[in-house]
Amino acid sequence: MTAYPTRAPRWKRVLDSDRSYRLLTFAVFAAVWEVYGTFWGGLLIPTFTETAAAFADLLRTAAFWDALWVSNQALLLGFACAVAVGVPLGVLLGRFRLLERLTDVYLNILLVTPMAAIIPLLIMSVGFGLLSRVILVALFAVVMVVVNVRTGVRQVDPGLIQMARSFGASERQLWRDVLIPGALPAIMTGIRLGLGRAVTGMVIVELLMVSLALGGLILQFRGTFNAAGLYAVIAAVLIESLLLIALAQRLERLIAPWASTHQQGKARR
Amino acid sequence: MSALAPPRARTAPRFEPRARRLPLGLVSLAAGAVLWEVVGRAAGVPFFPPLSEVVATLAAMTANGEILGNLLVSLGNLALGFAVSLAAGLVVGTAMGRYRRVKAALGVYVYALLTAPALVFAPIFFSVLGPGQSSIVAVVFMYSAFIMIVTTADAVEQVPAHLVEMARSYGANEWQLVTRVILPAASPTILAGVRLGMGRAVTGMINGEMFIAVTGLGRIVTQAGKSFDGAAVLAILLVVIAVALASVALVQFVDRRLTGWVPDTAKESR
Amino acid sequence: MIEISGLRKTFTGQDGAPVQALGGVDLTVRDDEFLTVLGPSGCGKTTMLKMIAGLQTWDAGEITVGGRPVRGPGPDRSMVFQNFALLPWATVLDNVAFGLRLKGVGKAERTERARDLIAKVGLAGFESKRPGELSGGMQQRVGIARALAVEPQVLLMDEPFGAVDEQTRRLLQEELLAIWEANRLTVVFITHSMEEAVLLGDRVVLMSARPGQIAEIVDVPLDRPRSSDVGGLERSREYVEITAHLWDRLRDMHEEHRAAPSEQAVR
Repeated sequence: MTAYPTRAPRWKRVLDSDRSYRLLTFAVFAAVWEVYGTFWGGLLIPTFTETAAAFADLLRTAAFWDALWVSNQALLLGFACAVAVGVPLGVLLGRFRLLERLTDVYLNILLVTPMAAIIPLLIMSVGFGLLSRVILVALFAVVMVVVNVRTGVRQVDPGLIQMARSFGASERQLWRDVLIPGALPAIMTGIRLGLGRAVTGMVIVELLMVSLALGGLILQFRGTFNAAGLYAVIAAVLIESLLLIALAQRLERLIAPWASTHQQGKARR
Repeated sequence: MSALAPPRARTAPRFEPRARRLPLGLVSLAAGAVLWEVVGRAAGVPFFPPLSEVVATLAAMTANGEILGNLLVSLGNLALGFAVSLAAGLVVGTAMGRYRRVKAALGVYVYALLTAPALVFAPIFFSVLGPGQSSIVAVVFMYSAFIMIVTTADAVEQVPAHLVEMARSYGANEWQLVTRVILPAASPTILAGVRLGMGRAVTGMINGEMFIAVTGLGRIVTQAGKSFDGAAVLAILLVVIAVALASVALVQFVDRRLTGWVPDTAKESR
Repeated sequence: MIEISGLRKTFTGQDGAPVQALGGVDLTVRDDEFLTVLGPSGCGKTTMLKMIAGLQTWDAGEITVGGRPVRGPGPDRSMVFQNFALLPWATVLDNVAFGLRLKGVGKAERTERARDLIAKVGLAGFESKRPGELSGGMQQRVGIARALAVEPQVLLMDEPFGAVDEQTRRLLQEELLAIWEANRLTVVFITHSMEEAVLLGDRVVLMSARPGQIAEIVDVPLDRPRSSDVGGLERSREYVEITAHLWDRLRDMHEEHRAAPSEQAVR
């Protein structure tokens, strides 16, 4: 209870830092994987080092980059559609109470509906082409964008709106100077979360619907029992999605640096 | 302006929309149903049958036991996966929220797995665990565990310091502190996370079943799609939505029972 | 009852610079004494109280309670908090019984003792209410009942009436006096109100800030029991003189602070 030094020695502080615990976790994970893969893995589970080597090889093959490009086409187009539709729709719903109340039921249902279940309908309607992948990615992302933008517009401090009105702001000026900047943090949050959902949609489409591109590679490696290759593709997909989401977060902070974290927590699912 | 309005006017609008919202929602749903029927009949395409046809298919599939049997299998997968996720969410989340070192060790990975598309792990589970129930349970876990871990950790971190201090001043040990003070105080936020986790678990269940494709609602929806039976796909989708809404409602029911002590004003803000 | 000697504590401030919260405090609290501690914010009074409670570590010095050195929280001391620190999900009864429950007292016994104390602080009939349904004054009555329920030798009160309105504050002061005068124990009471310090205390410890130190200890020679005629007491010559003296000292301290504005306040 009594005297203890307020500052530990330097080596102790470095060892006790957050980064060393983070690295420790990764080291333990890799070691356990390596040992398990070596002794009990058999044909189906590669070791950590095998996977790392396969990943390095994968990055050197043209087939991988082609697949990545094809996958991301759907992501890019679908996500762009989702933002183009979702942001205006969310703004409308946030501004007009009646519209919001009419659509609330549907948004709540859509938020809990597993979108993947409509994949069979998509195939029946537009086939296996790029269009159906784009539609699915857009459907995955759009609900998230709409809900967050709607919340953002609704959350704009009514005091600010009254303030602007008291200075004689027209509806146009009100939008330009108060509503849009006020809702911007939530809009950016919606776009970021929407991107996360779009990536999910892209992955799901390729795993469940169309065996081409990255999903095709996964199925192909699985079919040829190339376990290390399979794991490497999965790692590549994971890394891509994490990079995209990190990028979106960076962008969000750049565009709306005053966005508070608690607001994000409220609106996210 | 507001000074002129009677003081009651401030509280009244809060209740009004709540009373009106339900009927309006129902009206909206009914209008949607009519629209579906009309568009479905007018379009006449196999992938968008009218509502009446979907309902008829649903009735037929229920009558021949196809729905019920697969529904039970799916619910089993859901319950098992969700239970494991909940346990992991509470234990890991509490540890992360309470101990800096645990948070440092696991934080980034948990956040990464929270944002990553969970279904990419399905091929791994398929190869390690085989095409059985355990693979689907593992997918459900990947979908729902991390949101519960993250919200539990946040909730535990936000427990007011003075409550912890108070309990320590009465000689509470770590176990008493966690079970008697921290978890109850964190429960409203934890349960909000559990609700999100439940929604994700239902998604994980369907997606896992569609990928593994040997059991449950996910398998029959894939089959119906392969045989170009749009009505059956939509019928199963309705069942899945019902499962999702019911399971989230279950969490909300438990939430209300456990956190009735939270003042209404605090509840509205979350 | 309580012996404090050479107590020192240095915190690291927000800018990384060390801030001396306690700069060598020596203090003796007598058995069954009502000691009030008064001082400007940042004088370390709450820090000192938390150290006596065993909730806060210190750098140098020693604290003993009843001859035993303090090494953590103990059943001989219990604390009343400024912001009540009630469990919002628990009923009044369960809140009052909280300390007993942690000690492993059986249900029947702790319910009986809790009911007893609830009646004593004037909350009979509110046993099954939750803190959210009570006013601030009633909540702090629950806090006091909870602290007394574990039958401590020392009651540590950290600005207990700082968060309630003025009228309630007066009522609570009178009630606390009545309870204490009927059933004496050692009390250390932190406050930033001169009137409260003089009205309640046998002695007033005046602390100064940066670093937190004892500036003066003032005896309060007012008769007990005081609870019966608080109004008359406040018009008495001694009361007025002591309060005026304390105000002079506090004002001097405040002016010294203004001379050195760069230092930040710590609690």
